[in-house]
Amino acid sequence: MIARDDVRDVLIIGSGATGALSAMVLAQAGLDVICLEQGGWIERKDFVHSHTDWSWQRQTNWNPDVNRRLHADGYPVHSDSSQVLMWNGVGGSTNAYGAIWPRYRPSDFRKGDEHGLQPNWPISYEEIAPFYERVDRIVGVSGLCGDPAMPPREECPTGPLPFGLAAQRLAKAFDKLGWHWWPVEAGVISRDYDGRPACNGCGMCNGCPRGSMSLFSQSVWPKALAAGAELKTHARVLRIETGADGRASGAIWKNRITGAEERTRARVVIVAANGVGTPRLLLASDNLANSSGHVGRNLLHHTLVGAQIWVDEPVNAQMGYIASLFSREFAETDISRGFVNGFNFNCLTSTPSPGEMAAGWLTNTRAPWGAGHHDWIASRFGHSIGFFAIGDDLPSPDNRVFLNDEATDEDGVPVISMHYEPGENDRRMMNFMLDRMVDVADAAGAFDVALQDYRDESGVYRTPAWHMIGTCRMGDDPEDSVVNGWHQSWDVPNMFIVDGSVLATGGVVNPTPTISALALRASEYIRDNFAELSYTTKTIPK
Amino acid sequence: MNKTSNIVAHHRPNLLVEALADLVGELIPGNEEWPSGRDVGVQYSLQLRFIEEKGDASLPALTAALVAIGAPFGNLDGAARLEAVQNLEASEPKLFGWRRDAAYFAYYATPGVIEVINGRGTPLHARPHLNGYDLPPFDRATQTPTHGRGHWIPTEAVARVDVSTLELGRRITTAWGMKR
Ligand SMILES: Cc1cc2nc3c(=O)[nH]c(=O)nc-3n(C[C@H](O)[C@H](O)[C@H](O)COP(=O)(O)OP(=O)(O)OC[C@H]3O[C@@H](n4cnc5c(N)ncnc54)[C@H](O)[C@@H]3O)c2cc1C
Repeated sequence: MIARDDVRDVLIIGSGATGALSAMVLAQAGLDVICLEQGGWIERKDFVHSHTDWSWQRQTNWNPDVNRRLHADGYPVHSDSSQVLMWNGVGGSTNAYGAIWPRYRPSDFRKGDEHGLQPNWPISYEEIAPFYERVDRIVGVSGLCGDPAMPPREECPTGPLPFGLAAQRLAKAFDKLGWHWWPVEAGVISRDYDGRPACNGCGMCNGCPRGSMSLFSQSVWPKALAAGAELKTHARVLRIETGADGRASGAIWKNRITGAEERTRARVVIVAANGVGTPRLLLASDNLANSSGHVGRNLLHHTLVGAQIWVDEPVNAQMGYIASLFSREFAETDISRGFVNGFNFNCLTSTPSPGEMAAGWLTNTRAPWGAGHHDWIASRFGHSIGFFAIGDDLPSPDNRVFLNDEATDEDGVPVISMHYEPGENDRRMMNFMLDRMVDVADAAGAFDVALQDYRDESGVYRTPAWHMIGTCRMGDDPEDSVVNGWHQSWDVPNMFIVDGSVLATGGVVNPTPTISALALRASEYIRDNFAELSYTTKTIPK
Repeated sequence: MNKTSNIVAHHRPNLLVEALADLVGELIPGNEEWPSGRDVGVQYSLQLRFIEEKGDASLPALTAALVAIGAPFGNLDGAARLEAVQNLEASEPKLFGWRRDAAYFAYYATPGVIEVINGRGTPLHARPHLNGYDLPPFDRATQTPTHGRGHWIPTEAVARVDVSTLELGRRITTAWGMKR
């Protein structure tokens, strides 16, 4: 064991979206910050985007499913249901994300008041709103303000992305139905911004090595490093340690280059290892911060179903940013639909590759082999549009990640298991969503539509879980939550959880703008209260 | 693998690639406009990807499976070839699906095929990320929505809804998703 005598001000575990923001804020405040990340930097050439076989590699080496990619920087997650999508390395899952960038709505924070099947958040939309604006400016976002289905917002730092033929076709379909639609907000810049070039519309939005999409390794980490943060890569944290006073004293980690175990001590520990990595680490650290029993529970992925439609006229949706518009028509609860909560349509463009389309993109509808193959592709590639409906799933303590009793990883840490099954409300919502997708297809004049419910042959819901949230949720009751409204552990007063696991509800949209705004807010709280946090032995409700 | 195919494999080192070439020729046949999978060399990519995904040790079994349906097809006529591939699909649908998909990926990454797609008026770059596509910028004057639709509920206006009629405590929706 290599143990250093020095005590760092702040130790951050995980360098993804939220670890990056914490490192930036705290290093810019002059604090001595170290971040431990189990993976390495992803160099531009490591991305598959400029390889000739990039579309094949998106199924293999660049597959966001941690169990299919099997990269040494990752770790296995035994799942009996969901596909576990994440990336492990500097910038975390943003290395492979799509950067669709919508905000939560005020009612998302008040579901306890609305129906009581989910908790209220300890904070309100109004408290987070200024942080949304600031995060947008830090990472670089495009979009159009003025959406009547959302609270007013400032102008996006860059204007909306091109509104291609697929977007126009869908907009007409939503108009015909009398439903809301609005151009998409994206963590992608439509003009040069902050030293990064504008999006070139390549359509390959699984990460973006040129920097037009905000990968946090490119938009935030440079600022954190310039401010003096130390980032240790290939440093896999094995457990968090605590002292007799109940405070976190630091962490034991494995140096994956030398193989040595090392100890880092710190005054404040920030966990930013995502909705799976964080509960795993806490559970493996002697069930740390888990007096509520909620660590790992209430896993949320969103209700998710998809559709692919084909239209006669070319829409050439292989070009341009992956998403085109949102529809928030069904975002609020309407009990007459037979369920609580709402959902959002995330309208995509299409896959940029004919190979992906032929082999089954989004709905597993494949080109026939043999005589009909070329006609199929000729009528469908350049004619397809995809969209998702994504909704607010109800939390269940049985949907969870938990330590596996039998298997350990190469470092002796128990393997994490995942179980997720949609509940009654979720199933009703997904039925409704699928029916509305057929309405969209009809209104768009599609000659064919295919749906995706993500159920396998045995009926198991195997959602592509790019959103893994809720597993260390925040609240104002220590018995019902893991952290308070400032992300501070109820049990370990100098330990903060800033990643997506703290979200108390999932909202009806992709979560990273909210996760990022919250992380910025929590980091500033730590900065402003650092002196007290350096010695306090008590967490008080926010 | 049976003894016969072992002997055959021993004497014809290119047996696998010949058999794969016949397979991909059936999966993606050519016509006046499109080259066949065989013409653009999909069989070579397929062989390498098979090794990457399934391991070197899996090649003899692959060869045996193809030999078992009569590949390489030699003088077999079109109908017999088609039937042979249909038999392969029926006998091992999962593995067949993997090969078919891998063949599609390899085919559409080929410059000649990308050229055909462009020739049909559908813009497609082999590596779009390098130079992107020229798209007209968003036009605020004509593309900003004017429908005025949409609403949201302010924090202080969030009101209680009555969920008692929903009976969410009971598992009622057993048929859900696409099979209803
Ligand atoms: C394919 C895909 C597409 C997505 N698309 C979108 C989208 O369009 N819009 C959107 O809003 N969101 C999207 N997301 C989700 C988004 O990427 C996440 O919400 C976001 O990255 C979460 O940030 P985080 O900091 O919580 O975790 P992450 O970014 O996942 O970072 C966690 C980091 O912690 C590290 N770590 C974990 N355990 C340890 C340990 N023990 N020791 C050291 N390091 C550790 C990991 O290696 C990782 O780098 C997508 C995700 C995926 C995978």
